[in-house]
Amino acid sequence: MALKPLRGRVAFVFDEENFDVDQIVGVKNIKITDVDELAKVAMLSYDPDFHGKVKPGDVIVGAHNFGYGHPHYPPMRAMRHLGVTGVIAESFSPGYWRGEISMGFPQASCPGILSLVDRWDEIEVDWDANLVRNLTKGTSLPMEPLSYADREMLDAGGLVPYLKRPIAAV
Amino acid sequence: MGYTITEKILARVSGKEFVKAGDEVMAKPDYVIAYDFPGYTDVYFKQMKEDFGIERVAEPDRYAIFIDHMVPAATPKEEELHIGTRTWCAENGVALYERKGIGHQVAAEVGYAVPGAFVVHFDGHISQLGTFGTLAMGIRRNLLEAFVRERISIKVPQTVRVNLRGTLQKGVMARDVFHHLVRTLGPASCRFQVLEVGGPALSQISTEGLQTITGLAMFTGAVTAIVNPDEERLAYALPRAKKKIEPVWSDPDAEYSAVHDLDLTDLEPLVVIPPTPANSRNLSEYLGIEINAGYLGSCASGRLEDLRVAAKVLQGRQVKAGFQLNVVPTSQEIMAAAGREGLLSTLVEAGAFVSSPSCDYCFGRIATMSANQRAVSTGTLNVRGRMGSPDSEIYLCNAATVAASAIEGAIADPRKYL
Repeated sequence: MALKPLRGRVAFVFDEENFDVDQIVGVKNIKITDVDELAKVAMLSYDPDFHGKVKPGDVIVGAHNFGYGHPHYPPMRAMRHLGVTGVIAESFSPGYWRGEISMGFPQASCPGILSLVDRWDEIEVDWDANLVRNLTKGTSLPMEPLSYADREMLDAGGLVPYLKRPIAAV
Repeated sequence: MGYTITEKILARVSGKEFVKAGDEVMAKPDYVIAYDFPGYTDVYFKQMKEDFGIERVAEPDRYAIFIDHMVPAATPKEEELHIGTRTWCAENGVALYERKGIGHQVAAEVGYAVPGAFVVHFDGHISQLGTFGTLAMGIRRNLLEAFVRERISIKVPQTVRVNLRGTLQKGVMARDVFHHLVRTLGPASCRFQVLEVGGPALSQISTEGLQTITGLAMFTGAVTAIVNPDEERLAYALPRAKKKIEPVWSDPDAEYSAVHDLDLTDLEPLVVIPPTPANSRNLSEYLGIEINAGYLGSCASGRLEDLRVAAKVLQGRQVKAGFQLNVVPTSQEIMAAAGREGLLSTLVEAGAFVSSPSCDYCFGRIATMSANQRAVSTGTLNVRGRMGSPDSEIYLCNAATVAASAIEGAIADPRKYL
């Protein structure tokens, strides 16, 4: 099973460790359910012009223990709506990881990613070679392989389509 | 080469003689537990039927549902959610526990904390069943897998072992031990791993205290926490157990990814400052900060030892005028016991507002704070907006500190009142 590589620009780098993703939309907006509304408020405190700069296919990069705290789903719904196709971080908090993989939203754990990329570099996540390549700079770093179930879930496009597949023998 | 308690439990439930950390297995949970909450249970019930064509769960005894959030209901819509849950449980023959208290606590009281069992929930605080040697994990929306399949996919986690040593001092409680652990090891120290708590000082921590420590495991990055059950934990859990499973223990030569010693002798009461559970500090550095509200309750605290220490602090004293002290025992069983001991009358006479068990104080559904207000809390979490306005603040601390702060209207050291 081949999982299609992610390829896109680094639309933003969150360099804060233990980053609480709820901050992307702001806690006061966390209960908004309309995805257009969520997208409108997303990233305002990080880059007010983000909406004008991001384009479909872009990815975002995070630091160590990305998603720590009490992560909710709306922030990444908003980011996907803006065209973001995945997150590459130094490492992830498990609750966040599990939640977003189950949404079919690609997450790649790549120790060293913060020193590999700068904002707006073009990068590629190669799930088969387990490599993150910086296409702008011509450098690369190994990433941690996905578990079989996580890979299946991303390939299927999320939890529900994954569970509709026949049970794989493990 | 030995095995951890986690590996032994996952070997049994995946039908294998043994498994090692890193193996990917299909495991059959002994129990699947959830509380009704919009976007979770209502969605599972709907998806089971509409996406998977499943009318009824196959083994209803493996499932348990709790109604502990939005209790009592404040809007017709909340009550409709509960009605949907009651209907589903009745149709499926699944046990429903409503108004018994916070589910993670009640699950232990009614016998789902079977030593050696594997339990899943969507909420990570179920980890507190680990007190009794139960492997209990919060797997977020993936819990759907346990509603539509017999087995769930799981990677056997590695284990970080923490040995507690030394002697706990007066006024220092299990909460402080946990927050000290986060401060010392770091908020990512157990990422994707199991936190196994042991060591000689374990004997100084009550069963209730261990429920506090294991229940907060997620803030170390752990997928759960577990304790090798001793006689005291078995004496609690075995007579209540819903089924018979042979308890298991980690082998002396089990393989751990890390082993840490945590000395408790010099530990002082701590406070976790906003806005992240990673911010453990010595209480002494924050004394005198003006506080408007106090919350003593939640699945992490609010048990008898918390109520006892608060009553001891408040005995013959008064909550400062204008300070809102909310005391919410974790379960009905605990509340009744506190009543029999006279703790509730002491707290009420001191000026506390004592409420029946509910999760609603912990996440700001009620007793909601507005901008610029500050609380001391034994709740689970201190992120922005957790108990109301994003511009309010939560200082997490032990129950004695909440009570002392209620007297002074400011963050206070409880030791002078004990």
